[in-house]
Amino acid sequence: MSASVCSRRRNAIAVETFLPDNRREFEIRRYPSYVYALVPLLALVLQAWLPRLLGRFAYMDLPLLVTIYFALNRRSPIHGTLLGAVLGMAQDGLTQGAIGIHGIANTVCGFLSAVIGLRVVVDNNIIRLLLNFVLTLLSGAIMFFVIHMLLGLDWRSNWLDEVFRAAGNAGIGAVVFPLLDRTQIRD
Amino acid sequence: MESFFSRYRNLIVLLAVLLGQVIGLAVQVSKPAVPVNGPIGKAGGAETKDGRNVRVIRLWAAGMVLPFERALHGAGEGIRGFWAQYVDLRHTRDENKRLQETVDRLRLEQAMLHEDALEGQRLQALLKFQQSYIYATTPAQVIGSSGSMQSRVVWIDKGSNDGLQPDMAVITGDGIVGKVRDVFAHSAQVLVINDQTSGAGVVLETTRIRGILRGNAWGQPQVVNILIDSRIQPGEKVLTAGGDQIFPRGLPVGVVERVERDPERSGFINVTVKPAADLQHLDEVLVVTSLEPHLSAAQMADLKTSEDLKGAEAAADLARKKAAAEMAERLPSLKDPNAPETPKLGPDGKPLPATPTVPVTPKPLQPIHPDRFSPGSSENAPAPATDDLTDSGADAAAPKQSVPPKTGPSKTPAPKPKTDKPQGRTP
Repeated sequence: MSASVCSRRRNAIAVETFLPDNRREFEIRRYPSYVYALVPLLALVLQAWLPRLLGRFAYMDLPLLVTIYFALNRRSPIHGTLLGAVLGMAQDGLTQGAIGIHGIANTVCGFLSAVIGLRVVVDNNIIRLLLNFVLTLLSGAIMFFVIHMLLGLDWRSNWLDEVFRAAGNAGIGAVVFPLLDRTQIRD
Repeated sequence: MESFFSRYRNLIVLLAVLLGQVIGLAVQVSKPAVPVNGPIGKAGGAETKDGRNVRVIRLWAAGMVLPFERALHGAGEGIRGFWAQYVDLRHTRDENKRLQETVDRLRLEQAMLHEDALEGQRLQALLKFQQSYIYATTPAQVIGSSGSMQSRVVWIDKGSNDGLQPDMAVITGDGIVGKVRDVFAHSAQVLVINDQTSGAGVVLETTRIRGILRGNAWGQPQVVNILIDSRIQPGEKVLTAGGDQIFPRGLPVGVVERVERDPERSGFINVTVKPAADLQHLDEVLVVTSLEPHLSAAQMADLKTSEDLKGAEAAADLARKKAAAEMAERLPSLKDPNAPETPKLGPDGKPLPATPTVPVTPKPLQPIHPDRFSPGSSENAPAPATDDLTDSGADAAAPKQSVPPKTGPSKTPAPKPKTDKPQGRTP
């Protein structure tokens, strides 16, 4: 029995864990290795560089966007969880705050994206737009929870900036996601 | 039969990763604080030096991202430099850059010296207070930011190899920017003054009210912990106080933009400051690498030049005044006795009015039909003759009064003389 058949069976079992009564055919999208390496790195670099050009109008979270995209299309909750954790902690490393704030938020969003990707067809741009908006808001809420409840820091947040960030992420995702779709390995 | 772990593998991995990160957060926040130079800026317990493990993560993140940031910045600078330093303009632009650096240095020196003049060097010497001057700075380029709205930090392209250390002040020619937080070999992280975890000791220029400057959720620097009865007006300048041992005293911080009540604490106000430096568009900054209690040789030379220039003008002005005074002393004063007396001027410059004469108290009129109630009369007193109504000769010395016109016969009795209109009746 080939390895690909074994992996498909494992994935099928994983699907059944969340959809015990709903078997359907699904496609795991694959990408070249360099895409997995370069796209997250580019997201981190641009996330650190673009605010210098855009100033206070840098409403975006590119590492989160990349996490959501790969989690949606790989349809693997483990993959989404680990990718979100790594990208989030790398994002924390560029700030002066504690390591793990963005990590926890991106971990949860990566997991949820993968779960949603298993249940919903996410090729539609409108669904992607809504998903990016909602998950970015959720990421902001999780960070607020971590900072205030877990760390007990006196951190005042600006809810309007969070809404703008979610809208910005949704808009950027509507442009970037189709571009990343072109890098898929077609069977 | 599937095992528990294979059935709930995804959830287990999620929980394990989350738990690991929460434990990491707890270790970072609850670890004993490693003392960092600078007593100010410990809000929320975030101003502590990283532990060894966390520093490795930061090192990896910085090492992963910053080379590309530097490459992007270098490419942009290279293209700009190639275009800007084209043949004809190369020397001009170098000279302009050198002059701009001199101007920036002079502006900083002027700000510091202005504060010194206000306080008094002699008083400082008596108080044994050592003023720290900026002795050496290192220019640096801003190559990146944190990418997060909750964290207002920037990355610069100088590090420990260039002599940078944590808690060094970072400034521009316009004002302060922040302080160095993390230093790596070839890069450093700068905590900007509009971050919520920053802190700088500041003083208002006019009212001399001191406070701590830190950022709010909207990225605006605010002076906090000021009592509500402080009279602070928008437009007042804010300067560094020097008490935090990071920023030298007298550097411009910004201008008061608005004053509003602290929504969380009654009795306090928050003073929002418009920063002097453009914190949104930072390109080049200066890192203060050395503070000394005296000025450097270059600064002394600049001061001497400005004093010489000022001294020359002052000397010329003094000479003119001295010459005018000598001329006034030597020339005799001439006075024409026939010249009309110049009127004396009052404090407002207008001529004083003539001294008013003292009004003579008028003699009361004799009643036409005296009765027993009339003053100086008795029941058998004869009716006064009309001659008695005339003024006696003793009154001749009194200044003559203008004779009021006789009124016609009237049925009403003669009115009493008013004090403001002295009248005297002479037949």
